[in-house]
Amino acid sequence: MRGALRYEWLRIRTIRSTYWLTGLAIGLSAGIAGILAAAVNMANNAGDLGELSGSGVFTTWIITAGGSGPAMPILAAALFAVLGAMTLGHEYRYGTNKATLLALPDRPTVLAAKATVLVGWVVAAAVVILALDAAIAALFVPTHRFDSAALRPMAFFVLYCVGFALAGFGLAAVWRSQVAAIVTVLVWPLVIEPILSTVLQVAIARTNPGLAKLANFLPASAGRRTMYRPYDLFSNVDVNTSTATIWGLSPSAAVYVVGFLIVAIVGGWLFVLRDA
Amino acid sequence: MPLVQARGLQKSFRGKVAVHDLSFDVVPGSVTGFLGPNGAGKSTTMRLMLGLDNGDGLTTYDGVRYHDLDQPLRHVGSVLDAKPFHPTRRAADHLWMLAASNDIPRRRVDEVLDIVGLHDVSRGRPRTFSLGMGQRLGLAAALLGDPGTLILDEPANGLDPQGVHWLRALLQTLAGQGRSVFVSSHLLSEMALMADQLVVIGRGQLIASGPVADFISASQRNAVAVEVDDPARLAAEATARGAAVTGEADRRLVITGMDQRAVGALAFDLGLRVYELVAREPTLEEAFLEATGASEEFRASMGFQQEARQ
Repeated sequence: MRGALRYEWLRIRTIRSTYWLTGLAIGLSAGIAGILAAAVNMANNAGDLGELSGSGVFTTWIITAGGSGPAMPILAAALFAVLGAMTLGHEYRYGTNKATLLALPDRPTVLAAKATVLVGWVVAAAVVILALDAAIAALFVPTHRFDSAALRPMAFFVLYCVGFALAGFGLAAVWRSQVAAIVTVLVWPLVIEPILSTVLQVAIARTNPGLAKLANFLPASAGRRTMYRPYDLFSNVDVNTSTATIWGLSPSAAVYVVGFLIVAIVGGWLFVLRDA
Repeated sequence: MPLVQARGLQKSFRGKVAVHDLSFDVVPGSVTGFLGPNGAGKSTTMRLMLGLDNGDGLTTYDGVRYHDLDQPLRHVGSVLDAKPFHPTRRAADHLWMLAASNDIPRRRVDEVLDIVGLHDVSRGRPRTFSLGMGQRLGLAAALLGDPGTLILDEPANGLDPQGVHWLRALLQTLAGQGRSVFVSSHLLSEMALMADQLVVIGRGQLIASGPVADFISASQRNAVAVEVDDPARLAAEATARGAAVTGEADRRLVITGMDQRAVGALAFDLGLRVYELVAREPTLEEAFLEATGASEEFRASMGFQQEARQ
């Protein structure tokens, strides 16, 4: 395992895409945090925030680059999904999978090393994003207030990024194609899930409320719910409590973790079984 | 140095047999050429030997499967693809990464870059490399662990004549040090100069294995050219002894199925005057084409040649 970890650590450090993807994730998140900070300041100055002014809700929103409020795509997670897809996709694209397996013939060990280094890298980058965004909130929002309720969305922000990275990693093993993996891991949460969610919650909920609960099993949406503070930033619903149709924190987190683990495990299983 | 033993290798793709019950040895201290027509299963065989493809059979390196070798790059070096590296990762970094996986010291990276003549471009990115430079980098990776066995799939592809000459000298030197070198190539003239042993396959099955000299001498194309004063008489007597005889120019015959000494003795017994008596040995290419003639996977139409003649 030590050799496999050294190999993977050198692999991820010696290609430029690792740095531009990570840099882009950090930079875009900081940019979004800056835009949100400006918006919060303007709303606060106009007196639009009411009793929420000075609460930790908006500080958390800025720190998580919009993650703790709905309708805001987490660009960092998307970029980490691309990084995950490239971790294995590059091997297929450039035929280096054979060189890797000749140096390290034990495939489960190769997979475990790749996943370990990928997760470590993404966790470190996500923590940098949170720290940078927290600095932006502290520097540019006079009414900022960091409270303990921010910790849960921040922790799930890291988990959300890790999940996307592992999903990209698993899909690259499933498709044996970097491009197919990137397309799938981006189109599913950004296009397919919103359509399914809308159909289930709006159209079907009127005729069959039971069926509408299936929306809870959409993994990317479930992952987003784990970051909400409150569930709906403007209605102050608590994500810790399940409603009649939308699950709360624990089941949502479970759906998200199971979702990306299934993709990663199926991909890993195929990587071990198939010809190189 | 290791003896490589392949036993009962077998592989099918969607019901089509690519390699069928293939067994052979690669002996230490020799360059063993691996020959076969396109689609014969050479690359598949090499991947099976290295555990990259799933299939039946077993290949051992001094009795140990590839998967079970501790730090395999120190035992077996291989080149399977022309450019098996990321285009923007520096050549030295590519080798360093592989070295790190098998606890090979970093100084070895510089050594192998020197051996393959890429030291000046060690900081270069392979996307700017020619096919020949890519092959050299692949060879450098194969040599990283100073292995006792080399398995090389078409390593001469893309090399210029100087590069091919260098490769031949390198592989012969490595074999001379007692290593087992197993190399496939389409360059039969090059293989004739390089290889001591041959493994010849067609349609995934073994056609021949053994020393190159034996493979050539077993060819039906071995013949004796003889010029005598009465070729008709010699032809009749040779044919009666089971030889095949064809006439060439005036008074000259080409006899297959009898060696030079036998033809000379027959002419003497018949009281014929002999003007020329020459043994004609086929080239490796001729012997290979004869041996694999029926097992060619992709046979080209002769339409173009026929059109050209019209």
